[in-house]
Amino acid sequence: MRKLRQSAVAIVALLALGSCARGEPERTTITLQRFFGACEAQYGGSTDVETAEGECGIITTLINRFEAENPDIDVKVNVVFWPGYDQLTAQLAANDEPDLVIMHASVIPDYQARGLIDPIGAELKAAGVDPARFTEAARLGVTIDDQIWGLPFDTWAPLWHINMNLFRQAGLVQDGQPILPTSAQELLAQAEQFERATGKPYLVQISANEYASYARNLYTLMFQQGAAVFDRPDRIDLNNPQARAVLNLFRTIDDRGLTTKNQDYSAATAGFLNGDGGVLINGTWMVGTFDLESRTTGRPLSGGYAVRTYPQLFAGRAATFVDSHVWVMPRDAGRTDAERAAALRLLKFLADNDLQWARTGHLPAFQDIIDSPAFLALPHRSDLAFLATTGRLLRAGVRRQFSIETILGEESAAAIAGNKSVDQALIDGERRVNTLLANL
Amino acid sequence: MAVSARRQTLGMVPVIIVAMLMLLPMIWIVALSLKPNAELMAGTESVFRAPWTLQNYADIFGGSAVFRWLMNSLIVSLGVTAGVLILSSLAGYGFARLEFPGRDLVFVLVLVGLAVPEQAVILARHQLFSLLGLHNTYPGLILPGLSAPFGVFLMTQYFRAIPKELDEAALLDNAGRLKVLWKVLLPLTLPAQATLGIFTFISAWNDYWWPLISATRQDMFTLTVGVASQQMNFAQTEGLGFLMAQAVFAGLPMLIVYLFFQKYIVQAVAGAAGR
Repeated sequence: MRKLRQSAVAIVALLALGSCARGEPERTTITLQRFFGACEAQYGGSTDVETAEGECGIITTLINRFEAENPDIDVKVNVVFWPGYDQLTAQLAANDEPDLVIMHASVIPDYQARGLIDPIGAELKAAGVDPARFTEAARLGVTIDDQIWGLPFDTWAPLWHINMNLFRQAGLVQDGQPILPTSAQELLAQAEQFERATGKPYLVQISANEYASYARNLYTLMFQQGAAVFDRPDRIDLNNPQARAVLNLFRTIDDRGLTTKNQDYSAATAGFLNGDGGVLINGTWMVGTFDLESRTTGRPLSGGYAVRTYPQLFAGRAATFVDSHVWVMPRDAGRTDAERAAALRLLKFLADNDLQWARTGHLPAFQDIIDSPAFLALPHRSDLAFLATTGRLLRAGVRRQFSIETILGEESAAAIAGNKSVDQALIDGERRVNTLLANL
Repeated sequence: MAVSARRQTLGMVPVIIVAMLMLLPMIWIVALSLKPNAELMAGTESVFRAPWTLQNYADIFGGSAVFRWLMNSLIVSLGVTAGVLILSSLAGYGFARLEFPGRDLVFVLVLVGLAVPEQAVILARHQLFSLLGLHNTYPGLILPGLSAPFGVFLMTQYFRAIPKELDEAALLDNAGRLKVLWKVLLPLTLPAQATLGIFTFISAWNDYWWPLISATRQDMFTLTVGVASQQMNFAQTEGLGFLMAQAVFAGLPMLIVYLFFQKYIVQAVAGAAGR
């Protein structure tokens, strides 16, 4: 009798387990690879996107929420050290590519030219993400040969972060707004006025151990003068008055002591936080940090922080060099339809939540989100929204943009520090970049 | 006698000063790791005043994969170390004691390996391992480390320094080659084994590049790759305390190895220098 009872219990248990197993939806596993760091300790179990902070917190909770809302999809997240391209290249070489990867728009041409990523414009549209909603800057960043090569997640740009307390002291505030220069001459005059009034340099620049900011200054101010920078995807043109004007301006600023010197990223950021200068040229990602600092009492930025795009220093068109974070799909012949569909569903979810991502400081990639009251209500965003239309990338298809940035940074630094003439630096920069591109 | 002791004490002063100077960066790293990141962003001088925190360490341990990476590093480092010791000892014995055609040429070829940098072979090796399906596996992480020309050279030189009469006596007592190696010669090479083992372990533990491109799945990361992946962009600015905590955490196992094997390490380094 006892045995019979035990057998009955066992059978019932087995049946229960069986029915559970049948109730479990079959899960499709996709791999998403990203940088932005890891913050599992803080956000590992959270799906509360609205309260998450920072790039890592927001992307982690977004993925968590997607999994919670889509129990049939398992997203394996592979977090890699920024920017992660060595690993991605190795994975592609080993046919072990992830399903989705975060990639800078400026890097897409390198992978697109070698057939390593898939165009996904039509699939995005079918999934409910109409590329027509992309901002102009975002669309340009993902478009090569009239095809869309990824889902733009944001647009980021170097900005002018302004210490309004020091600007006020220097008489450079009117109606609560910073007075920014409208020409190169005015920049020099205002910087000297600032220096006389505060005893501090006008600009706080990241000029040591980092070349990106030099290149971004050069691109932006050449764009403002109507220069193309690249007349073909494989040829840069620096032997022109526009490039000379930019380097001469920064050399004059340096010669007159209107900027900090030899500061790396950390030193320049700390210097700006400590009120060591008026304007820090740094990216969109710092808006939240500085805004928080301005809301903290007793700090040099307390109640005195503003952020603007580059002022128009040259006659021409309003323009700022921008780049984007883009989700791309590496080419994988072995990817199943189910995996592809799951990846596209995740892309749709990320697109739908682009406003949350924009809380990082980056600009949304969708014009309707930029125009939305919710976005414009975020701190300082109304001052930056027009970047979506004035933001410019290098010509479509320009490869090796990270390396080019380094070359231009090295040559610009040499010219600005007086180690080379401006003309020579531009000649050398042009030669080095064109040699690099000619040998791909 | 008192004068001699005083001289000895005085002689220690510069040693202590130099030791302190070498220790300062490490103290600095530990101190920074105990500060909130936001405070450090505005300046590292805040390290000398409260508040201090263990949050950076909590953030490391909060990552569920950290102990997996630690285990991976241990498996890989111990695997490489064991493999190198076995292969180098066998090869060293062969080159030092056995007569076979082309021995000197093969030995020279092994030494040529010392002059070939990893960068020169990494692409071919990556492709080979792709073909063999070895990426994201322990053998894929261990096998490249087994090619150790320095180990073969070191062990060969060590075996050559041992008098041949010892082998001959054992052979006369009917011991086979392997028995001679195992029972007679290997015990005499323990200082060299310790040197080679410690350096191999440290090198395998600190290796970053090969694991970066071979172990591309998070569950196969070694500690070096794993802790790097946790860093956000601009970590040196926005997450300096976390970065330093990672440095401390990644260095701790090495410190433990040193504390346990301090005697052997000192002997090994002194022995290697003397030799």
